[in-house]
Amino acid sequence: MKRNTPLITLLTGAVLGIVLLVASMLATPSKAPAGYAGAATPTPASAATVASSSAAASPTAAASSSSATASANAQFRADYAGRVKGGIHASVAISIHGTQAVAYACNGSSVEAWLSGTASGGRLALTGKNGAVLTGNYDSRRAFGNVSADGITYAFSVHTVKKPSGLYRATADVRGAKIKAGWIVLPDGTEVGSLESNADSAAPSATAAPPLDVTTGTAQDGSTVLHVLSISGVTGSGF
Amino acid sequence: MTAPPTIPMPLPPQRAASGAAKIVVPSLIGALVALTLGIYGRLHHPTGIAVNIAGFSSPGYVKSWLATVATVFALVQVGSALVMYGKVPHVAAPSWIGALHRWSGRLAFFLAVPVAIHCLYALGFQNYSTRVLLHSLAGCAFFGAFTVKMLILPKRGLPGWLLPVVGALVFTLLVVLWFTSAYWFFSTFGIHR
Repeated sequence: MKRNTPLITLLTGAVLGIVLLVASMLATPSKAPAGYAGAATPTPASAATVASSSAAASPTAAASSSSATASANAQFRADYAGRVKGGIHASVAISIHGTQAVAYACNGSSVEAWLSGTASGGRLALTGKNGAVLTGNYDSRRAFGNVSADGITYAFSVHTVKKPSGLYRATADVRGAKIKAGWIVLPDGTEVGSLESNADSAAPSATAAPPLDVTTGTAQDGSTVLHVLSISGVTGSGF
Repeated sequence: MTAPPTIPMPLPPQRAASGAAKIVVPSLIGALVALTLGIYGRLHHPTGIAVNIAGFSSPGYVKSWLATVATVFALVQVGSALVMYGKVPHVAAPSWIGALHRWSGRLAFFLAVPVAIHCLYALGFQNYSTRVLLHSLAGCAFFGAFTVKMLILPKRGLPGWLLPVVGALVFTLLVVLWFTSAYWFFSTFGIHR
């Protein structure tokens, strides 16, 4: 039946596709983010070199008339946000303003961390409370690396985003306790947010944040109206 | 896969399908395939993860290499097709050219499938940049066009230019896919495993 061989090719491909799709579906919930992180760790020095050179050559950086690399780095501004690898809800947002970097990692409930640190030469190094660490590389298009929050390590590769996507933060004092909420608005409009009810603690505990209204910049936490601040490396807001 | 069968196939006794239907039906099925992939990619919530292959530093590299090998096979496709159609001066089609064409095509297709599944499941149909939109559109169109090619392949009495045109379309789409993904990936992150 030589006439049917193209059809067999087609059906074999379809079956292969369906098998892989089902395998992916089965792999998704059970796959531990920490185990996945090891496989995706950006080790090669070449990637770092590429990242740093593209960072220096980014449009924002190129706007600087100075030719010094350090100066170009100081001008670099970008906002990144996206889901981590291996986690359906966990997301990370990173904002770079010159050599300063702020990041927020959050799974929409109890796992979250605010981090701050440096962005220089294409490399990110940020730390936060409770042992939170973010390391990785960045260029004008994306940032990738690992972030640990509450003992869980996620690998991420996230792209630059434009408002209203990005990072938002709200703080408030309620009956002597400091509340700090963070939201990551993903490129598809999804919000992932957590709220620390004891933000001054060395190990703040978090719960799901109330919905954020990006248009009004507010969120209603019980009887408290939280006014959010956009954290943006591009505009410098929140730095 | 356009080699004439070595044993001439007897024409089916009375297949009343007109020439137009022979093209229209496969085209509709191909369009349906492309649409299904696009709609799934748009509706399915991207997970950022799918089954991975060991030995590579990241899924991006797995996909880039698979896509690159598929594209090399696609070049073999064009070369072998030109030889089969006698378009290469002073090169007579060897007896194995049909098998080469069929198997390079199959391998290219089979290599492209896991890449597409990862794209659809983990990343989805996206439009946040021109490259990404072009890639998403070409990805859906590629599998649609390939389906058309496979379905019209065994049909008789079609215009002689049809297969080369559809084949060229499939090839062009794959090259667009490669340039908007693997080429971009390698030039951005470096060439390694």
